[in-house]
Amino acid sequence: MNFINKIEKKIHESVSPLIKVSLENKCVLLEGELPSWDAIVTAGTLAVDKKHSLGVINNIKLTGFEDVIRKPAVEDSSLDGTTPDILIIGGGVVGCCIARELSKYSYNTILVEKGYDVALAASSHNDGDVHVGIDLHNGTQKHHYNGRGNALYDDLCKELEVSLQRTGHTIVFYKNWEAKIIYPLLKLQSKLLGIKGVRFSPPEEFKTLETGAPSWSKGAAFMPSGAEVSPYKLTVALAENAAANGVKISLNTIVSGMTTENGAITAVQTNRGTIRPKLVINAAGVFADKIADMAGDRTFTIHARKGTSLILDKKCQAYAVTSMTKSPFSKYDGEEKRVEDAKKHTKGGGIIHTVDNNVLIGPSATETPYREDTTTSKEELDEIYNKLKKISEKMTYGDVITYFSGVRAPTYEEDFVVRKGLFCKNIIETAGIQSPGLTAAPAIAQDAAAWSIEILGNAKKNEAYNPNRKHTPHLADLSVAERDEYIKKNPDYGEIVCRCEEISKGEILDALNSPLPVYTVDAIKRRVRPGMGRCQGGFCSPLIVKMLAEKAGTPLEGIVKAETESTILYGATKIGEEVGNGK
Amino acid sequence: MANSNYFDVAVIGGGPAGIAAATAASKEGASVFLIEREARLGGILKQCIHDGFGLMRFGERLSGPEYAERYIDLLKETAVEVSLLTFVADIKKENGEFKLTLVTRAGMRVITAHSVVLATGCRERTAKQVLIQGTRPSGVFTAGTAQHFVNILGNMPSKKCVILGSGDIGLIMARRLTLEGAKVLGVFEVKSTPSGLTRNIAQCLTDYDIPLHLSHTITRVFGEDRLTAVETAQVDEKMNVIKGTEKIIECDSLILSVGLIPENELAEKLNIPLDRKTKGAVVDQNLMTACEGVYSCGNALHVNDLVDYVSEGAELAGKYAAQKRSGTPKYIDVQSDASLLYIVPQKLNINSDLSQVKVYFRSSSPVDGATLRVSVDDTEVLAKRYAHLRPPEMESITLDLSQAKNAKAVNLKIEVKK
Repeated sequence: MNFINKIEKKIHESVSPLIKVSLENKCVLLEGELPSWDAIVTAGTLAVDKKHSLGVINNIKLTGFEDVIRKPAVEDSSLDGTTPDILIIGGGVVGCCIARELSKYSYNTILVEKGYDVALAASSHNDGDVHVGIDLHNGTQKHHYNGRGNALYDDLCKELEVSLQRTGHTIVFYKNWEAKIIYPLLKLQSKLLGIKGVRFSPPEEFKTLETGAPSWSKGAAFMPSGAEVSPYKLTVALAENAAANGVKISLNTIVSGMTTENGAITAVQTNRGTIRPKLVINAAGVFADKIADMAGDRTFTIHARKGTSLILDKKCQAYAVTSMTKSPFSKYDGEEKRVEDAKKHTKGGGIIHTVDNNVLIGPSATETPYREDTTTSKEELDEIYNKLKKISEKMTYGDVITYFSGVRAPTYEEDFVVRKGLFCKNIIETAGIQSPGLTAAPAIAQDAAAWSIEILGNAKKNEAYNPNRKHTPHLADLSVAERDEYIKKNPDYGEIVCRCEEISKGEILDALNSPLPVYTVDAIKRRVRPGMGRCQGGFCSPLIVKMLAEKAGTPLEGIVKAETESTILYGATKIGEEVGNGK
Repeated sequence: MANSNYFDVAVIGGGPAGIAAATAASKEGASVFLIEREARLGGILKQCIHDGFGLMRFGERLSGPEYAERYIDLLKETAVEVSLLTFVADIKKENGEFKLTLVTRAGMRVITAHSVVLATGCRERTAKQVLIQGTRPSGVFTAGTAQHFVNILGNMPSKKCVILGSGDIGLIMARRLTLEGAKVLGVFEVKSTPSGLTRNIAQCLTDYDIPLHLSHTITRVFGEDRLTAVETAQVDEKMNVIKGTEKIIECDSLILSVGLIPENELAEKLNIPLDRKTKGAVVDQNLMTACEGVYSCGNALHVNDLVDYVSEGAELAGKYAAQKRSGTPKYIDVQSDASLLYIVPQKLNINSDLSQVKVYFRSSSPVDGATLRVSVDDTEVLAKRYAHLRPPEMESITLDLSQAKNAKAVNLKIEVKK
């Protein structure tokens, strides 16, 4: 029996006999229709055979479901007729990392992003872990890029003036046998994977190292190469630096189709006109398979996997010093069986001390047909809360200041697809990017740039390239004398707008004077964090709206929260009209 | 003492509490420094353009800005140094005095004060803190934020809204938005009784035909960009959603009036113990916290329903903060049973005057024909009858507790005859 027949048999037996299984372009193609998304995902998973095929193309339709993509409201011809050397699709951390890497060369590069800002999807909805990679397997792209990416982080963050906390990651042992048996195996694994510095932290020492250590801890594996970064601040910084070095970033721009001739892309259609790039780089996140399909280069399927995380008040910052997870090998006493997170393709969530001194709890993992579903539900919240409350024993629901969901973009192979086009000459795929995608991004970008040079040839250095991005630091973190110096130069640094995060008017205005200014409340939030504290913008949001309107020269109602239609205000009140709208 | 960086009293917060405390401290002859984060004094009163302020203090129905104005005028007659657009970045106790690190437009400034009055007010509980789920659209506002948009910026945050929570600001905003032409589809309250003052229910909802849905909550919001709808549901006695009672209401905003949280981040920096019930500092009859020299008043101490009480309490705090501290405090507890929601003060300093102790309290549930019984150890010192006691309506009473000098505790309880 050949491998396709084997896959067919498995799917017909455990999912549905109505699914058509075939081999096309060396990929396993699944077709048909099913009423259950879980069944479709199961079929996709069963179709994986990395040895004999390039990947799974799961085209099974979900009954009654329409795969809708949110589109930008604008339509114009601002990009029509442009002929860049390189077109990057997607303004997440990977797309922006690639854009910056390519800005080292004199190529004419355009990055298009369908949202109103960069870092809108997974790149702003994740935990910010720069992973150690101890759970990854040799031979996978995830392992390859995680190790390389992790090592690039210190220099990258220094150049971009983005904070990086290398406070280490820890795996906490619940049972003594884990400390005795699992730890040595982890240590061995770390050596095989080339991970440095992993050591056992005995229970007493662990308590001093990690103030949030659970009472049951039997010690932990301490992995010093683990770090934290603000994923959205990093993505914005990458985009700003790329823009400063000549990359054109076109927001609110969605790719709707491609024209290919003789296995090469000749034109890319967008809502802002037709672009004729020499090379396309696919960094489209949850839509990467759609883009690859347009280019005739699809060998994989993205199936959205949602995760919910909670953010705790800064008062709880002692709940974690490192990024902590429980060893997955034991079950809690009184629990019927251990939660098999590995099967759900999550490390099970953790307790993380973020660079902004909050504690982040999560994420969970749920398969969903909706690629942009960032809604939260009480069930998802309770799931992650109840599970991680066992590690973070002091946590209460009262500590939670906010929560959010993000959507991962895995393939059924559960590995990255980072490669040159197989069926299309002028595309580079950077797809299937889920955890540890943030860690891997700088390394992926290096390869994408090297392949671009290979494909396009005649790479000239961009003589004006400046790797350094000047950025106003969070002034509240400075000494009194340093802060005083800033204020003496610009009094706006001495006017606090966001009381919870202690952010000054000057810092906010600086974000609007950057190479990538975005005049919405949420974009400012991602750049400088007003409204991210315990009052969640209750006090500062009217002030931010007013500042944005004044700087943009628009009426107050012209300022939106996020996308174009996310109106905040509807216009002057009866009295406001008379007195000039609060001005 | 112009331009000096030493003050007898530093008052943090320039709302009604801070202004009253600073004025009172100055009248006692103290040098006073009043710190306000915003560009103008008045705190939240600036945006409370409705009337009803000052009935107790002035016997008049004033608007919020008018009430603030009266106190600002009194403040102007004193030598209090006012520092606007000033943020307290740090506070430390050193050698019995307080070092405050301030952020101002002129630069950083460090001042030292003998005593500190915390008059930092409160913040609103947010949608996420009451676990509302769904998307993250624009159009979800706390009532105070909506009030800022309407009354300060003169711009409408809603055309058609639903209000969650029957707190006073929510009720006021229901009327305000209606007057500005918006449609308020209803006020939903998770409890079986309203949270706001009875007069506000009548004047803001009943008079405008706005329905009040008790034992109801909002569970979810919808809308990718602007909010398009909310999901309401009925709750049981334990406030759990009753499955099957969910309804979708189309609207453009959800306005929340789901509680106020005293802002005590500075108190926490000084390790001042807070009362779990009031979420304010634990204080004695002089409104001094457990950190000697630090006083607390206004909504930072406990959420008041009338500004008149705020001014009254703050004047006490200011007065005592201005006095030189002498002797070591010795504390006994002021206790209550479950019949009271909370009491302020929570402690008595028996080494200080006990003859005129002002006690603020709220009953745990609405009761009619109730008796407040106060006893020192086992001896009853007062029994006062009340026709009605309602949790949203704070009561105050002045007690002579001189005989508590040698007692172990003072006890309060509310009794209802069956």
